[in-house]
Amino acid sequence: MKMLNAAILISVLFYPSLSTAWPTHTVCKEKNLEIYYKSCDPVQDFALSIDGCSKILTNTFTIRAAMILRHNIQELSLNINLIINGKSILAYSQKLCEPSGRRFIFCGKKKGEHIYYEGPVTLGIHEIPQGEYKVSVKLYNGDHLTVACADFTIKNT
Amino acid sequence: MACHIYWLILMGLFCVSCEVSEPVDTMCTEVIGNKSYSCEDLGLREIPERLPATTEILDFSFNLLSSLHNSTFSKLKNLVYLDLTRCQINWVYEGAFQSNTHLNVIVLTGNLLMFLADTAFVGPQSLKHLVLTQTGLTSLAFIPMQNLDNLEIFDLGSNHISSLQLPPGFPTRNLKYLDFQINIIQRIAAKDIDILLQTKNLTLILKGNDIMYIEAGAFQSNLFYSLDFGGCIDISVVLAGMQDTKTHTLWLGSFEDVENGLPINSTMLQNLCNISVVDISLQKRHFLHLTAATFQCLSKLQRLDLTHTHISMLPPDISGMNMLEELILNRNAFKHICNISSTAFSSLTHLHIRENAENLDLGSGCLETLSKLQHLDLSHSYIENVDCCSKQLKGLIGLQHLNLSYNKQLQLQDLAFKEGANLELLDLAFTCLHINASQGPFRNLHLLRVLNLSYSYIDTNIQHLLQGLQTLFLLNLRGNKFPSGTILNDNLFHQVPSLEVLILSFCDLTAIQNQAFHTLKKLKQVDLSHNKLIAFSTDAFSSLKSIYLNFANNRIHIIPRDMLTNLSGQSIINLSYNPLECTCSNIGLITWYKQNMDKIEDPEGTVCCKPKSLAGTKLSTVTLSCGISVAGIVCAVLVLILLVAVILIWITRFLKRHYQQL
Repeated sequence: MKMLNAAILISVLFYPSLSTAWPTHTVCKEKNLEIYYKSCDPVQDFALSIDGCSKILTNTFTIRAAMILRHNIQELSLNINLIINGKSILAYSQKLCEPSGRRFIFCGKKKGEHIYYEGPVTLGIHEIPQGEYKVSVKLYNGDHLTVACADFTIKNT
Repeated sequence: MACHIYWLILMGLFCVSCEVSEPVDTMCTEVIGNKSYSCEDLGLREIPERLPATTEILDFSFNLLSSLHNSTFSKLKNLVYLDLTRCQINWVYEGAFQSNTHLNVIVLTGNLLMFLADTAFVGPQSLKHLVLTQTGLTSLAFIPMQNLDNLEIFDLGSNHISSLQLPPGFPTRNLKYLDFQINIIQRIAAKDIDILLQTKNLTLILKGNDIMYIEAGAFQSNLFYSLDFGGCIDISVVLAGMQDTKTHTLWLGSFEDVENGLPINSTMLQNLCNISVVDISLQKRHFLHLTAATFQCLSKLQRLDLTHTHISMLPPDISGMNMLEELILNRNAFKHICNISSTAFSSLTHLHIRENAENLDLGSGCLETLSKLQHLDLSHSYIENVDCCSKQLKGLIGLQHLNLSYNKQLQLQDLAFKEGANLELLDLAFTCLHINASQGPFRNLHLLRVLNLSYSYIDTNIQHLLQGLQTLFLLNLRGNKFPSGTILNDNLFHQVPSLEVLILSFCDLTAIQNQAFHTLKKLKQVDLSHNKLIAFSTDAFSSLKSIYLNFANNRIHIIPRDMLTNLSGQSIINLSYNPLECTCSNIGLITWYKQNMDKIEDPEGTVCCKPKSLAGTKLSTVTLSCGISVAGIVCAVLVLILLVAVILIWITRFLKRHYQQL
């Protein structure tokens, strides 16, 4: 048993990266609604908050988000996956930035820039499902490099 | 026991300390041998010693430098491109790039610069591109102007610059692109920017600044290539200040994450009459009353972008827009295509109506007058037609590119694109097609080069589907189904003899007959990935000189060697993600594979599946010895032992008998 302990200790010392999973952040913790997120980009965490959690049920709500760009976003695409019981129920994707179509003012920002977005978000689904489920969100650029990646856990009762 | 544990812990600690003390520069990745290196995000505090002096391109972003001295890059004398994005650089001291005479590009994005010495950028003979984006700049006076004369691109975006007052030494000689986006510039006076009068064809980006005032004539008699005032609140301020200006492009649009600007009325656009411009974007603006008068001063335009402007109809009495060649009406809400009043735009060569928010009705002959139209994009617009498309596209005799992808469904009749004799590209991807033509729906498209029918749910049974497509170069049939998952010898491909690229991925194919593609003598690329093919065969392809075959993600176990040996010249195959067997029954593949690694695409994904002991091993690393099988050897040994035993017994008996007689 002691040998096992030592082995674990050594492996921890050897692989410090094992313990650098990003923390889980709480976005909402209300009576009927809990939302948590965790960055799944191995390179960095990001910050997010929702103004008035109850508004999320109305499909359009205001968020504040900040992150540092690791890649240029001349081209930027969004992928959203709704996962219930480990199964992907709904997949949704959209182009946010293209060289010929800059929908948002942050389109075209460069690697290394800090991005702060404060504004409305409209979900591509008509109704926020009830129950406990996961939403995985991924932003990637024209070279398919990850710009941001997050796993949300939502408890809506 | 305890002793052992301490020993192990000690060893562990020792190894960790080994790792730390080892020189970190080995971790930079070589992008191009001796020339280009990436040291991104390695927590480095200095330039690694081991980088060769021949390094020309260095990506050193996301490290920790804090200050730059004249010795920092002194060894890298051949540097051409240096990326120092987010290195927490605060101080750039005198002569920081002194030794780097060839340096063309310096990127300092995201460093909070506290001081730039007067001679900070002295050294490079021809510094062409300087990026000071998001470096905390509050004033242009902070930037030393020594040795910036050769600048072509100067990025100063995302700072806190409030005045565009350009200092006397500001580089203008070769300047082509000057970026002030997302600063806090509100007022522009003529004397601030008079130094720019020396430039020609400059692109000036002022997007994301709240421009409140521009002195009349500030940009006067200047020749710009592009002026970007994206996201400003009141475009009439901009237009008033731009009188008598000449520019190719004027970007006056806004964004979804920016507060709505003042709505546009026709008087606001009056000032456009005195500006010489050929390309305008008004994306995401609101029009108060869209009338013919709104377009009065737009008559000299060649390109007009009205993306996401909330319009459902263009006024029918617009006149004088005879110069307009490109009209962009994406993300609007037209119910009927006749509502774009195409008669007003008789010179159009490019028309874009994609991502329409309503079901777009194509009507009949609505675009009839656009005889010069070459490109038409109607994708993502909820188009649903019972009888497509000759009525709808009537008169479009010059059409070369037609995009109808991502629509609801279309019924293709005989000669569906009757007047499309000049069509070169037709994109029908993700649009459900019903073909009720007795002859080929495309048979008059003699110039068609590219046809995209991916996920269009076509009936591949129809033998005449591709009739007449004599010059077709690329055919994409991804995501369509074939009867019983088989491509028969007798199939629809015989009608497209010029085909060079064929995409048949995600088609649920289980088999391809031996003569399936024999009439396609020019075939160069075939994508059969993501199917259920069990056998790999090259028999189906007539020419095997420089062919690209993608068989990735199928169900192939064994490949006989003679199927591979024919692949000559520049041929490339992809066999990744197949359940390949690494046993002696597949020795033909394994030996050929190792000798022809130059012909393999994605060797990382080409791994063994059987036997279990080798599962996941790359095919290139497998070694098998398959002279005689193990069973064979055992058998031979047993026979030998038996033989020896028999002989021994026979000898002892013989000797016994012999001696008994004595």
